[in-house]
Amino acid sequence: MFEGLREKLQKITTGLEKNIATASAEPSPVPADQEKKDTSLLGKVKVLITEREFVISEKEIEEPLSELEMVLLENDVALPVAEEIITHIRAELSGKHRKIGESIDTIVLSALRSALLNVLGEGFDLVSYISTHERPVKILFTGVNGTGKTTTVAKIGSFLKKKGFSVVIGAGDTFRAGAIEQIDVHANRLGIRIIQHQHGADPSAVLFDAVQHARAHKIDVVLADTAGRFHNRVNLMNQLEKIRRIMKPDLVVYVDEAVAGNDAVVRAYEFEKSVGVDAVVLTKADMDPRGGAAISIAHTIGKPLMFLGTGQEYDDIIPFSPGRMVDELLLEGA
Amino acid sequence: MLDRLGTSLKDALKKLAGKTVVDRAAVEELVKDLQRALIQADVNVKLVMQLSQAIKTRALEEEPPKGMGVREHVLRIVYQELVRLMGSAGEVKLGSQTILMAGLQGSGKTTTTAKLARFFQRKGLKTAVICADTFRPGAYDQLSTLCSRINIPCFGNPQEKDARIIVSEGMKAAGSAEVIIVDTQGRHALEDDLIQEIIDLNVQTGATHRWLVLDAAIGQKAREQAHRFHEAINIDGVIITKMDGTAKGGGALSAVTETGSGIVFIGSGETIEDLERFDPDGFISRLLGMGDLKALVERAQESVVEGEIDVNAMMRGKFSLRDMYKQLEAVNRMGPLKQIMSMMPLGNIDLPGDAVDMTSAKMSRFRIIMDSMTGKELDEPSLIGSSRVHRIALGSGSRPEEVRELLKYYKNMKRALKGVRGGAGKFNMQRLMKKFGGI
Repeated sequence: MFEGLREKLQKITTGLEKNIATASAEPSPVPADQEKKDTSLLGKVKVLITEREFVISEKEIEEPLSELEMVLLENDVALPVAEEIITHIRAELSGKHRKIGESIDTIVLSALRSALLNVLGEGFDLVSYISTHERPVKILFTGVNGTGKTTTVAKIGSFLKKKGFSVVIGAGDTFRAGAIEQIDVHANRLGIRIIQHQHGADPSAVLFDAVQHARAHKIDVVLADTAGRFHNRVNLMNQLEKIRRIMKPDLVVYVDEAVAGNDAVVRAYEFEKSVGVDAVVLTKADMDPRGGAAISIAHTIGKPLMFLGTGQEYDDIIPFSPGRMVDELLLEGA
Repeated sequence: MLDRLGTSLKDALKKLAGKTVVDRAAVEELVKDLQRALIQADVNVKLVMQLSQAIKTRALEEEPPKGMGVREHVLRIVYQELVRLMGSAGEVKLGSQTILMAGLQGSGKTTTTAKLARFFQRKGLKTAVICADTFRPGAYDQLSTLCSRINIPCFGNPQEKDARIIVSEGMKAAGSAEVIIVDTQGRHALEDDLIQEIIDLNVQTGATHRWLVLDAAIGQKAREQAHRFHEAINIDGVIITKMDGTAKGGGALSAVTETGSGIVFIGSGETIEDLERFDPDGFISRLLGMGDLKALVERAQESVVEGEIDVNAMMRGKFSLRDMYKQLEAVNRMGPLKQIMSMMPLGNIDLPGDAVDMTSAKMSRFRIIMDSMTGKELDEPSLIGSSRVHRIALGSGSRPEEVRELLKYYKNMKRALKGVRGGAGKFNMQRLMKKFGGI
C-alpha cells in the first residue's frame, strides 16, 4: 500500500540530500583573521564548531521542497495540508546546523518523518478502548454516500468477533434501497445478530432498539450503520444529531474513502463540526497506492485513524498505526 | 474554506480591472490563484500546470480586442482554455442502444443506472435494466426496488454468481427493449480478474456505450483509474455523481482528457429524477467557484414556465411582492435563494442571513398570505397599511404579525437586491453577462 507516494518521497529525499550535499561541499566561511584573534579557549571551541557544521539555507532547499509539494498534491493531499507539511519541513531544515558525523539523510528523513507524524497524529486502538469501557460500547458509523459504511460495519463486526467480543449490528440505513438487505446478508454470513426495522423507518428507533437489545443480552459492542448523507444537507445532519442524542454513542466513527480528493477535507471538517468525530476509518485503500486522503483527513480534524479498509473480503481491514505508515512510506523496500 | 478560495480568485481579477495594459505581475498572481483553485477542485496537477502555462502565455501575448478590458480579456482566455480542455458534452442518442456502466465501488453506479433508465423512459424509449452485480449483497434488491418504483423491468438473479450468465439471460429477457442498461459490480482498475470480467461483459453485450461513473469527490486517482478502464473497454462517456455535495468534480476532467470522451450526465441528488445533462460552461464556473450564470438562467427558464422572473428588473431594484411570489414559487424547484445567489458571478453580496435561510414551511406560509392580497397590493406593497394587514391576516388565516414579518422580509430582499446592482468598481453584472454570452 502507498507504494506510489513512497517512491516519490524517496526520490525527493535524494534530491534534497543532493542539494544539501552540494551546499556543504563549499567550505563554511570562517574568516581567517578570526582564528588569529581568538586565542582564548572559548574562541577555539567556537571555531571548532563553526568549521565543522554546515548551515542549510532556505534557498537551497526551496526547489526540492516545491517539488515535494507537487508530489503531495499529486497524491491527493489537500492543498492546505500540503502547504503545512512543507512549512513544517522548511522551518525544521532551514538554518539548521549540521553536525559533523550526522549524515544528511538522517536530517532530511527525520524532518520529513516528524512532519508526517505531526500531521497523522496518534492511531486508535479499538480493542483496548472496548476493554476499558463500560459495555455495551456503542459505535456509530457515519459518512457521505458510497464510502463503504455498511461494508466497514461488517468488517469491524468480524474483526471484533474474532477478538472475542460479542457484537450486535443496528441497520440504521433505512433510506437507500437494498441497504437493509445488504447488511442483513453480511450479518448472517458472519453470524452476528442484527436489529432491523422496515425500509423508511426512523433510524433513531432502530438504533435505540439495537442498544436495548445489547443491554438485555449483555452484548459487548453495538455497531450502528447509518444512511450516507452529505454534510450540506441540514435535515439529514439534524437526523444524525437526533440519532446521536437517542443512542448516545461512545464513539462516532467517520468513514471516508482513500480515493477522495480535496473534498475529503471539507466534509471531514463539516462532520466533525456538526456531530463530532472520535475516530476515522479510511476505506478502499487498496484502490490506489497513495495515502494522501489519510494525511488530509487526519490533519484537518485532528482525530485518529482507526482502520484502513483494503479490499472486498471481511478480513481486508487493518488497524492503523501512524508510525508504521510513515515508516512504510519512507523506508526503502518496506 | 472553498468559498474563500473563490474570493481570492476574484480579488486577483479585481486587480486587473480598469487596467489598459496587461500587468505581468497581476497576471502571474492570477495564474497562481487559478492553480490553487483548480488543484483544490481535484483537477490533475499536471493538467493544471499545462493549463496555467498556456493561459499565462496567451494573456501576456495576445492583445485584448478593442473595447474589451484587460480583466475580461484574461477571464475569457481562462474560460476558453478550460472549455478546450473539457471538450464538448458527451453525446446521448435517443435510439436503440446498450449501455454498460463501469466504475469504482461506491461511486453510485446502481443509483445512476436507475436514474438513466428514468431519463430514457421519459424520452419515450422502452427501457430495461440488467443487474450484473453479483458481489455486493443487496445490490439486486436495491436496483429492483428503484426500478419497480418507475415501472422498468429489471433482470437479475441474486443466487447466480457469474455475471456473464446473468447478462446473457438478461439480454434475452430484455428482448424488445430499445435501451438496455447493464449495471455492473464496482471494481477498481487494479483488480485484474474483475477487469477481465468487464471486458467479457463488454464483448458479450456488444455495448454501444461504455460509461464510466465517477464520484465528484475523486481526487488525483481519477486519471489512472480512467486510463485503465479506458484500456480495458474503451470508455466513451463519463458520468459524475454526487455533485450535490461540496466536491467540485475536477477529477472527472482528468478522466475526460484521459479517455478522450466527454461528460454525459451529472448526478446531483438522491431521488431518481436528479440527473442532469452535462453543461461545460456551468461546470467550469463551478470549478473556479465563480458562479454559474448560464445554469441559473436555464434553470430559471425551466422552473418558471409562465411569468418568468425578470432578473434584470430585479437588479434594477424593481422588485414587487409579485416578483417575490413568483420567486417563492420557483424556489422549490430552483433550490433556496442562497444557492441561486451563489450561482451568480458575484459571490460577495451579503444577503441578510434571515432572508436566505428561510424554511420551506415559512415559505409556503408566505405564499398563502400573498394569495390573500389584491393585485394592487402585490404591485405596490407600500399601500399596505394596518387595516389592510388586518384584512390580509383574516383572509389568509394568519396573524397580523406574520403579515408584517412577510413585509419585513420583502423589504430586506428588496434592499439586498438593490445592493447587488452595485456602484462603480464592482463587478458589472450586465457587462459580464454579455461577455459570457458572446463566447
